[in-house]
Amino acid sequence: MSPTKSGSALAELSSQIAGAADAAARAVVAIHARRRIPSSGVVWRDGVVVSASHTVRRDDGISVTLPTGESASATIAGRDPATDLVALRLNGAKSPGPSKTDPSGVRVGALVLAVGRPGRDVSASFGIISAIGEGWRTWQGARVDRVLRLDLAVYDGFSGGALVDASGMVIGVNNSALARGTPMALPALTVDRVLDELLERGHVRRAFLGIAVHPVALGAATVQRHRLPRDTGLVVMSVGDGSPAETGGIAVGDVLIETNGQPLRRPTDLLDALSAVRDGASLSLTYLRGGAVKTVTVTPVDREAGGSAE
Amino acid sequence: MNGAAFGSARQFASGASALADLLRRAVVEVRSGEHGSGTGVIWGGSGLIVTNAHCAPRGAPLAVDDNGRWCAARAIAYHPRHDLALLAAPGVSGPLLDLRDAASLRPGEMVFAHGHPLGVRDALAMGVVHGIGRDPGTDEPRWIVADVRLAPGNSGGPLVDAEGRLVGINSMVVNGLGVAVPANLVRQFVERALARRAA
Repeated sequence: MSPTKSGSALAELSSQIAGAADAAARAVVAIHARRRIPSSGVVWRDGVVVSASHTVRRDDGISVTLPTGESASATIAGRDPATDLVALRLNGAKSPGPSKTDPSGVRVGALVLAVGRPGRDVSASFGIISAIGEGWRTWQGARVDRVLRLDLAVYDGFSGGALVDASGMVIGVNNSALARGTPMALPALTVDRVLDELLERGHVRRAFLGIAVHPVALGAATVQRHRLPRDTGLVVMSVGDGSPAETGGIAVGDVLIETNGQPLRRPTDLLDALSAVRDGASLSLTYLRGGAVKTVTVTPVDREAGGSAE
Repeated sequence: MNGAAFGSARQFASGASALADLLRRAVVEVRSGEHGSGTGVIWGGSGLIVTNAHCAPRGAPLAVDDNGRWCAARAIAYHPRHDLALLAAPGVSGPLLDLRDAASLRPGEMVFAHGHPLGVRDALAMGVVHGIGRDPGTDEPRWIVADVRLAPGNSGGPLVDAEGRLVGINSMVVNGLGVAVPANLVRQFVERALARRAA
């Protein structure tokens, strides 16, 4: 059988894709921090590895198999449960060069490879970017500016591995746990932003009020009496001890209707308002209590420092 | 639409359909009594067919469909550990496929699977080499794992590279990934089986 002319174009493409996998694999490592199959990680900066937090089950005694086959110990620099990213620092051992990233390859329909290292050898799967979600919220509540939904096969060691474009540039970090089994990737820019915070303070700052809320319908009489523009609000189900909400005077049973002039219809409206709050800034909350409309100003704190309230 | 922008995609598509043409002539459907069907690869140009052992149960009446013509076939050797069977089917012929050593496959290289999944005739599936499973003792390739979508009916069919060289026989699906027996092991099996018969 002689390869046809178009067959050799196919062979060329195949070789380019294998070359892209090979190039990216130089920054993809295996992390030994769970039982059975090791998880994948990407050397993102000099001596810094990122991976999917849920695959790194231990906090101590973590070793990493480098692409050269050498082994290095690593310590956790920080975790962000909301985006499921973890940052690890490689100790000593000469680490491979960081991956080269390029956000321009992120387009729906672009050919991509998922490259992981669930052990000594690298493994790859192939597909396309099937959708780009803007302003997407993970089920842990974090708003991610962008997330890439992938049409490719998920395998052991997929999460934490690199998403690679056709030229071998890393364009994201793969994760199948962000949306319960669907193959997704966090784009490189998001990874960079989270990584900056993790390396600086070990966690990602998230504004925190210390309340749990649930949507409720407001009675027609209440809506009419206060001339409210809508008939739903958020009833406060719990208030954490010593939380910013308690300090501001919010109590269980209050019905929140507005923050900074924006309506509160769903709990995510409140999360959106909180994620827009800068460090140390405050926001206003308008609520109904005992038939009267009141407004308070509260100053959210950093969630990690905010204690144990809901 | 700008035609030039899709030039390489079109070239790619015509390359893939050329592969489908080649493979259509190189495979047969294997039926075993009431046991359903699988795919078989015509070996050495004519008369011999390699398929999975589980597609050709011992003692079951076998028939192969060579492009619309049903012929009786007879199993002449089995390799249960590699899930391989060798069938004699006089009169069946097809193109001779080159073989490729699994040891030279790189993760990310494109591979194509041909077969009759779920009764769909001559379906081509595309994926990349995911990894090579090695024998823990000898370190020789035992399995080729590829992210191709396989279904019942693909069993016994060919896994080829972008140049149409046979790299393995598709045997099973594990965790959604296709698993194939490397072509070298298939060749060893066939050579030994034929040598035994000649002796």
